[in-house]
Amino acid sequence: MNTSKGQLATAIENAATPDSNTRLELYRQMQACRMMEQRAYDLFMQNLIKGTSHLALGQEAVAAGFGTAMRDDDYTFCTYRGHNHTLVRGVSMTGILGELMGRECGLLRGKGGSMHLMDVEKGAMGSYAIIGAHMPIAAGAAWSAQYRESGQVAVCFFGDGTTNIGAFHESLNFAAIWDLPVVYVCENNLYMEYTPIGEVTAVPNPGADRASAYGLEPVLIDGNDADLVYAVAVAALEKARTGGGPSLIEVQTYRHGGHSRADPGKYRPDEEVAAWMKRDPVITYRQRLLDDGIDAAAIDAIEAEQSARVDAAEETARNSGPPPLDIADIDLWADGSSTWRN
Amino acid sequence: MAQLSYREAVAAGIAQEMRRDDKVVFIGEDIAAAGGVFKTTEGLQAEFGKLRVRDTPIAEQAIIGATMGAAMTGLKPIAEIMFSDFFAVCWDLVVNQIAKTRYMTDGQCSFPLVIRAANGGGARFGAQHSQSVENWAMAVPGLKVVAPSSPADVKGLLAAAIQDPDPVLFFEQKSLYGTKGDVPEGDHIEPLGKAKILREGSDVTIVALAAMVRRAMKAADTLQNDHGISAEVIDVRSLVPLDTTTIFESVSKTARLVTVEENPRLCGWGAEVSSLVAEELFWDLEGPIVRVTTPHIPLPSADALEDAVMPSAEKVVAAVLNLAD
Amino acid sequence: MDVLMPQLGETVLEGTVAVWHKGAGDSVEKGEMLLDVETDKAATEIVAPATGVLSTINVQEGETVDVGTVLAVIAVEGEVAAEVAPAAAANVPASDAPASVAAGLPPKSSGGKISPAVRRLLKQHNLDIADISGSGRDGRVTRHDVLDHIDSGAGAGSSAATADRIEFDRFRKITAEHMVRSKATSPHVLQAIDVDFTAVDAVRMRKKDDWKSDKGYSLTYMPFVARAVCLALAEFPKVNASVDGESLLVHKDVNLAIAIDLNHAGLVAPVVRDAGSLSVSGLAESFNDLATRAKTKRLSADDLQGGTYTLSNPGPFGTLFTAPIINQPQVGILSMDAVKKRAHVVESEAGDAIEIRPVGILAHSFDHRAIDGAYSAAYLQKLKAVLEQSDWSQEF
Repeated sequence: MNTSKGQLATAIENAATPDSNTRLELYRQMQACRMMEQRAYDLFMQNLIKGTSHLALGQEAVAAGFGTAMRDDDYTFCTYRGHNHTLVRGVSMTGILGELMGRECGLLRGKGGSMHLMDVEKGAMGSYAIIGAHMPIAAGAAWSAQYRESGQVAVCFFGDGTTNIGAFHESLNFAAIWDLPVVYVCENNLYMEYTPIGEVTAVPNPGADRASAYGLEPVLIDGNDADLVYAVAVAALEKARTGGGPSLIEVQTYRHGGHSRADPGKYRPDEEVAAWMKRDPVITYRQRLLDDGIDAAAIDAIEAEQSARVDAAEETARNSGPPPLDIADIDLWADGSSTWRN
Repeated sequence: MAQLSYREAVAAGIAQEMRRDDKVVFIGEDIAAAGGVFKTTEGLQAEFGKLRVRDTPIAEQAIIGATMGAAMTGLKPIAEIMFSDFFAVCWDLVVNQIAKTRYMTDGQCSFPLVIRAANGGGARFGAQHSQSVENWAMAVPGLKVVAPSSPADVKGLLAAAIQDPDPVLFFEQKSLYGTKGDVPEGDHIEPLGKAKILREGSDVTIVALAAMVRRAMKAADTLQNDHGISAEVIDVRSLVPLDTTTIFESVSKTARLVTVEENPRLCGWGAEVSSLVAEELFWDLEGPIVRVTTPHIPLPSADALEDAVMPSAEKVVAAVLNLAD
Repeated sequence: MDVLMPQLGETVLEGTVAVWHKGAGDSVEKGEMLLDVETDKAATEIVAPATGVLSTINVQEGETVDVGTVLAVIAVEGEVAAEVAPAAAANVPASDAPASVAAGLPPKSSGGKISPAVRRLLKQHNLDIADISGSGRDGRVTRHDVLDHIDSGAGAGSSAATADRIEFDRFRKITAEHMVRSKATSPHVLQAIDVDFTAVDAVRMRKKDDWKSDKGYSLTYMPFVARAVCLALAEFPKVNASVDGESLLVHKDVNLAIAIDLNHAGLVAPVVRDAGSLSVSGLAESFNDLATRAKTKRLSADDLQGGTYTLSNPGPFGTLFTAPIINQPQVGILSMDAVKKRAHVVESEAGDAIEIRPVGILAHSFDHRAIDGAYSAAYLQKLKAVLEQSDWSQEF
């Protein structure tokens, strides 16, 4: 049972500005995400990325904030809109772009695709394409950490639409009763997929307004403010790590593009889009850093570095061939085979 | 040897493995303090403590999701689904998440978990608590499927399932919980993927699973004593991995195959075995392959109705006689 | 170029490869003999449709396949050899043919179905199911029946010490099957009458030398008897009939089948259609044509079908009389045995005298379901009268 109500609210109130190195790291992660996702957009338009992809352009501060705050051995679970959440764990950008392009150099050698990115060695425990399914899985990882007394925390990212599905509710209750070290982060970008979330949710704030139903502290913040996200992340992780149990954090943000590549997002009012574009997390943070006296050269260097990184990743991925066909029927079982008979 | 009931053998199998490996943990509804609604897990929380044997809310998606998360991060969890019909409530976690994730992620993680469930009819519980659903699981790549017929096999196969590095769905037939049998004491493991010939014969091969095994054996007695027909009875035990070798060797000897299952008429496990034999042993066959199944209906609850629709020894005898020259 | 199984008759649906005259890899010339195919007792030679190399043989000797099946492929220069599926059953082109005809083993004589296990055993041990009695339900030959048959040494030459084993060829098997079935179907009655061939000989003797030198073959008694048969059948039409369930189908025409022995290697009975419209010389021509074609394996399947009455002539061998077996689905068959000089009582106003006359016995087997003895006897009486009293010179 959560005994420290208001702990996170307090952390938000008292949030100190992170030190410069941290802030530059936050910016670096955001630019990496921004540039990678933009490149993914371009590659999709060139038909080099097949199928579908769900870009998180506009939501970089969330992934960057938590990614920077997490311990290397913490676990993350994200959705099919999870390229950024995967990248910020230190996963290879070449691997991510290569996976989107279905190449041998892909993170999963083409076996999973955009919606299932995972890199266990980096604690990126998977991207999941069924709404809500990863929430109890994250609880399980947290349970495992608790059982093993490892101090690891699981962070689980999902959207506003997820808050209405059964697994969301089961997972929060489950995590709460066992005090599991899991942080649930609801990225509310105002749209379920194509439908405004307000039209399909019984309460105004799909994440924060559900917290008390599970004995958790309601937390609602601006998800485009990297410093703020970072501060909340630090607090929630600390709470979980020290036996304080789970958190549910709603961050408000906005996606620049549609739900998926197939969706131009025309259902959103122009004024709304324009207003949020003014709150672009990358551009506003850049300005904030400059305003706060961070060296412009350092900022430029980050941009150049990440730009080169994306170019190199794309180049490598393009030159990588398709996966060898004989991997199609391996790794169903732990022994590497897919044999079901003798 | 100890005389154990089928239900006692469940606890015995779990306990054996929990003693061996402290990464084995066990969760489910009413399984800990109450020892399970079918009293299959009594004594486990007392022996292994509240951290390793835990009661959960009624939340199948959470239970199975958490089991998966724990399995991919170093534990060897066992989960119980109280009635196998309830798999439908959390089927996404079983078939989309657990079954597919290793493959989708190029083998980055594996899922050494067991989900046990009370399966099948005969207990007058009505349609939503009586179905046999091992065929649902057999149809999904990435799941191993086991269904013991005797207390010894419960203990041995459950132990093997817990040790197995892959997800195993372990179907206990509820109508067998009260049956008793000899169970080896001490360490007992039966390998997955091995069928067992319970009775040798030369005229027809009868392949059965779980509660149908006894009925097949009874039918074999009748066939021998009353009709002079020698039936070979195989307890298939493991649907995935499937012991096609044993089944094929038998059918190529007898030239006739009858399967006996509790699944409804369409797409039961017997259909798959029949199809494999029809394809690979066609030239060995003396007659058509016959499946004895429940009709394609949910199970009725009244005892007279339920008994009438489930396969019986008499129905198996009739099916074999129909095949006889 | 594909070599296809031809359709050897309008209602014929399959054929058997009897003999390959060329092997895979041999050169062939267009028109050159390639193989012999057989249907129900008719054999036909197939010539190569093109010049080239016989690249593949898909159907082996002894195999029966549907009409239209690709038997072999000739690689013609300049032509790209296509992939040929091995002996797949083709769609039957005949207009009123049933949808599919089973290829593979010849039809079993026992009742019931052949299971895959039995089929395989038969093939492996080169057995004919007709040789094996079935102990299964409805007379089905079971796997155990075949295994017992093998164990009893039936297929493996166990009696080599005291007898030579001659395997039945396809002709023999078919003949055996037909004969057994015929006896099982029709209650046979034998009735005979002796005939004085003096009137016939009056004409035959005069004509036979010229006939032989003109036509190259002999004018025998047979066309005379056939002519008489047609005339007698016109008055006794029920002898020219078939039993169909509980009715008698009385045929309008006489399609006369004549039994022809093929050098003691088999028996065929090709048919002269509408024999009643032919004169003795016409019948003689027809008989010769059929006999020639029979002996050179150029009978078509249609030649063998549609007979309504059969004439058998073992006479050249000097036999006295024969009780022939009815050629189903007919109801009568006539055997004309040797015409010999005999001491014969001839009645006249001057009294009885014994003269030397050419006399032959006509033996008639009839199906007692269809007709009775008196009817058949009256028919024979008419036959005798025609033979003994006609002016046979009118037939030439």
